Amino acid sequence: MDIATLGGQLLGQIPLGDIVLYLTPFNLFMFAGALIFTTLIAISRTETQVEAEFGSLNDNEVKVGLKEFKIRRFLAVVCGLATAGAMITGDVFNFTLLVALIGIVNIGIVSAVKQIDVLNAAFQYGLIAMIASLPLFGGAAIILASTGTLSILEIAQLSFTTPMMFFASVLLILGIAGETGIAPFYATKAEMFRTPGSPFILIIHLSSLLVIVRAIEILLIINKPF
Amino acid sequence: MKLGRLWNSLANPKRIPRLFSIILGFILLTGFLIPMALNDNQLYPRPVPQEQINQGNPLAPYDRGGEVLKEPGIVISQYPENEPNLGKITSYLTPIAISVKNSTIYYGTSIYSSPGGLIDEILYYTRGFDTVLESTILMMAFVIASWVALNFTMRREEE
Repeated sequence: MDIATLGGQLLGQIPLGDIVLYLTPFNLFMFAGALIFTTLIAISRTETQVEAEFGSLNDNEVKVGLKEFKIRRFLAVVCGLATAGAMITGDVFNFTLLVALIGIVNIGIVSAVKQIDVLNAAFQYGLIAMIASLPLFGGAAIILASTGTLSILEIAQLSFTTPMMFFASVLLILGIAGETGIAPFYATKAEMFRTPGSPFILIIHLSSLLVIVRAIEILLIINKPF
Repeated sequence: MKLGRLWNSLANPKRIPRLFSIILGFILLTGFLIPMALNDNQLYPRPVPQEQINQGNPLAPYDRGGEVLKEPGIVISQYPENEPNLGKITSYLTPIAISVKNSTIYYGTSIYSSPGGLIDEILYYTRGFDTVLESTILMMAFVIASWVALNFTMRREEE
């Protein structure tokens, strides 16, 4: 499938040496969405969870401390920017690097929490993110070996697909599934959400959704199934 | 009933890394069945193995020719139109590197071979954005680790 069928008309390119970012309406929409959400997060305050106390009429408020708030806001903004970058990048290796950045920042956003269950889940998620870097970068390397290039614009013009390219795509999608924690590896992330500080937790969610959509676009461009 | 139990077992975070590793292992094993189809037209070419070593070239296997800032060396890139100065610093060697190069023919395979030259050309010029991202990943890892170390182990507030 060529880029125009998937993303619409090619609006422009941002050349950074060999890494060329390209803009189509589809990519620009997701890029703008990620940036708008990042801005909202940067200016918002965290929620406070209110729990009813057992055996009394008092409420127990779970608040986010100032130090914790600052580090989580910083990491959430970095996560949002990395997501926005992954939406418009036109280079397979560049994309995998941005996904790895999202993965490590996601662990950081919950690592500042003082709830043992959440930290345990974050630890398991960290294990998966580390294991997933093998198929993620391995997939990108096999794509380079089997197509001779990493630029998505060049790969889109290739007329052939080999089984090697399909295998590389399977590795790539497995790596992305591990880094972003989609089903069936969702349990670790679902436990991580059980913590106060709502807007920062939501960027974990949004980044994995957008990255998956973009990854599917890249894999369709590489494999040209239709 | 059985399927339900299977789904429930997936809800335990402890099992997820194991499940992931098993799936990854199976997929990597199927990789042996895939016919190797490497593209001969590689973007980043390398000389024939041992060719430069047999010539007694001290820069082997990284000699790409060229003269610093005057004549570009052999560096192929995807979009040469974006890189007007491609290859101009490929042959750059630091003064220490030059003295090492003159004393041994194994300079290219030693640890001295990294400063300047070809590796910098790819790292900082043709694929510079990747290098920025790699160091960003490292920096974020250090930010998280040092924050956790400072606030959870050193200045811990007992609750």
